[in-house]
Amino acid sequence: MRKICLALLALTAACSSAPPGGAPAAKSYKIAVIPQGATHEFWKSIHAGAIKASRDLKAEGVDVTVIWKAPLREDDREQQVQVVEGFLAQGISGIVLAPFDRRALVRPVEEAKRAGIPTVVLDSGLDSDQVVSFLASNNHRGGELAAEHMAKLLSGKGKVLLLRYQEGVASTEAREQGFVDGIKAYPGIELISSDQYAGGTRDTAKTAAENLLNRYGNQIQGIFTPNESSTSGTLLALEDVRKAGKITFIGFDASEAFIAAMRAGTLHGIVVQNPFRMGELGVRTMVDHLRGKAVEKKVDTGVQLISPETLDAADSQQLLHPPLAKYLEAGPGGF
Amino acid sequence: MRSTTLRRLAPFVGLALVILVFAFLTGAPAQYLSVPNLRIVLAQTVIVAIGAVGMTMIIVSGGIDLSVGSTIALTSVAAALALHRSWPPVAAVTASIVLGGLVGAVNGLVVTRLRVVPFIATLGMLGVARGGAKWLAGEMTVPAPETWINELAVTFPSRAWMVVAPGVWLALILAVAASFALRRTVFGRHVFAIGSNEVAALACGIAVARMKIAIYSLAGCAFGLAGVMQMSRLRQGDPTVAAGLELDIIAAVVIGGGSLSGGQGGILGAMIGALIMAFLRNGCQQVGWPNYIQEIIIGAIIVIAVALESRARERGQGVR
Repeated sequence: MRKICLALLALTAACSSAPPGGAPAAKSYKIAVIPQGATHEFWKSIHAGAIKASRDLKAEGVDVTVIWKAPLREDDREQQVQVVEGFLAQGISGIVLAPFDRRALVRPVEEAKRAGIPTVVLDSGLDSDQVVSFLASNNHRGGELAAEHMAKLLSGKGKVLLLRYQEGVASTEAREQGFVDGIKAYPGIELISSDQYAGGTRDTAKTAAENLLNRYGNQIQGIFTPNESSTSGTLLALEDVRKAGKITFIGFDASEAFIAAMRAGTLHGIVVQNPFRMGELGVRTMVDHLRGKAVEKKVDTGVQLISPETLDAADSQQLLHPPLAKYLEAGPGGF
Repeated sequence: MRSTTLRRLAPFVGLALVILVFAFLTGAPAQYLSVPNLRIVLAQTVIVAIGAVGMTMIIVSGGIDLSVGSTIALTSVAAALALHRSWPPVAAVTASIVLGGLVGAVNGLVVTRLRVVPFIATLGMLGVARGGAKWLAGEMTVPAPETWINELAVTFPSRAWMVVAPGVWLALILAVAASFALRRTVFGRHVFAIGSNEVAALACGIAVARMKIAIYSLAGCAFGLAGVMQMSRLRQGDPTVAAGLELDIIAAVVIGGGSLSGGQGGILGAMIGALIMAFLRNGCQQVGWPNYIQEIIIGAIIVIAVALESRARERGQGVR
C-alpha cells in the first residue's frame, strides 16, 4: 500500500515538473504571489492582474488559485524572506515574487527551487540564475524618459534636483541612474543635488523634500522623484512651501492625487509602469512553465510618460485606471 | 544648587549648539536660520512634540508606551475615514482623540488589572493598533477631503498672522497646559509620586491603579491628536505611517531629562529634545549628509544626554 502511494507521488511529481506534451488537464495549480507591500496602489494593481490571470485561466480550463501574501512590514527584507519560507511547506506549485532586495531573497528562492517550487520574479531584480523568468518595466528607460521630458520643459537649460527613494532597491536605483544618464545628454542642465534619499514613506519623503527645498528651492527649476511615495511627499512639500507649479516636477508611478495634480498644473509628468499587466503576465508565465511550455527569460512590461497633455488619451487612462474593483474585494474601509 | 541650574539648562545648550553648528556647516547660515526654515522645522516637530507631551506623563509615572506610532497611524486613518464619510471636521478630530484615549485606557487596564508590565502591554498594543489601522483602512491609504484640518500642520499657514502652523500653536498650548498640570496640580504631584516610589505612593493613599489608567488614557488622547496632525500633514490616513516613531518620541523625552526609572522629567525638556532631533534631521539634509550619519549622531546624542544627566544627578544629590 505504502509503496503504491509513493509510486503515485513520484508520478505526480514527475508530471508537474516536466509533463510530456500538454496532457495535465486535471491538474490544479496553487500560486503564491508575494509583493513588497500591500498598501501602495502599485501592489493592488499587481494583485488585480494576478486575479485576472487566474480567472481567465479557469475559463480556459486550467484550475489556478492565487494566494496573495504581503510581508507584514513594508520596509523589511527579513519579513519578506519569512513569507517566502512560510510558503515552502504549504504545498504550492510556484511563487511569483517581487523581491524587496536583490540579494537577501536569493537564498529562499534557491531553496524553494531545490524543494521543487519554481519562482517568477516581478518588478525588481534578483541576483540569481535559478529563476524561471524576470518580468519588469525597463526602469532605466523610465528614468531616461523623465530626463528627456524635463529637458524639453526646461528648454534644455536650468538646475535640477534628484531626490532618491531608498538605498538598495534595484528598481528605483535603475530609474535614478536612467535620469542621471539621461540628463547628461543636455549640457545646459545641471544636476545640483542627487545624493539625498526620501526614505520609505510619504512622511519621510515630505520631510526630506521640505529640507531640500529650503536649501535649494531658489536655485532649482526642476525636480525628479523615482516612485510613488517620494513623488507624493515632494508634491505635498511643494504645495506647502507655495512652490507647486513654479518648479517643473516629474514623478514616477500613478495615483489619483497625481492625476489631480497634473490637472492643477503642479505636476508636469509621470512615468508609469503597467503593474496590472505585470501581475497578469507573472501568473500566466508561471502557469505556462508549470505546464511545460517554454517561457521568455526576460520580459519588458513597458514604461510610458504621461504628461498633462496626454492625460486623457485612451491608452493613458487604461494605465491610470486598471480595473481594481472588478478583481479585488474592498476591505471594511468600504472603498 | 548650581548643578540643578546646569541640568535645567543642558537641553537648551544642546539645541543652541546643534543650530549653530549646522548654520555654519550648511555654508548658507542665512538660509538655515531663515524664518521659512524655522517654520519648516517647527511644522516637522509637531507630531513628535504632541506625542512627547503624552509620553512625558507616562515616563514620569514610571511607565512606557511603545504603541504610540501605531496609535498615531490608527487615529490618522480614523480621522480620514470619518472625513471621507462626510463627518464634520470637529467630529472627526474628536473621534480620533477619543479613539486614542480608548487605546490608552486599554493599555492602562492591561497594566493595572492584568498586571502585565507596561513594556509588554504596549508592545502588544503596538501590533494590535497597527493591524487595526490596516484593517480599518482596507490596507490602502484613505484620502481625506479638503477641510480646515489640512491647514493644521501646513508649513506656511494661509493666515499670515499666525506666523507658524496652527498645529505648532496647538502643541505649544498643550505643552504649557500639561507642564502646569504636572508641576502645579495634585494630579501632577501624584504622577511624580507614583514614578518615584509606587509602594510609598500607595501607602500615602494615592489610588495608583486608577491614576495609571488615567495617565495612559490622557496620553492616548494626545497620541490621537498627533494622529490628526499626521493626517493633516499627509492629507490622507496612512496605516503604515509612523512606524518606529515611538523611539523618536521616547528619545525626545529622555534627551529632555526624563528618566525611564520614573519620577524624573519635564514637558519643556521633552519639547527641546524633539526640536534637537528635528533640527538635526533638517541640518544633515541641507549639508547633504547621508541618512546613516544622521542616525549615528542622534543615537550618540541620546546616550550623551543621559550620561550628562546622571552625572549631574549624582553631584546634585540631596538638593531636590
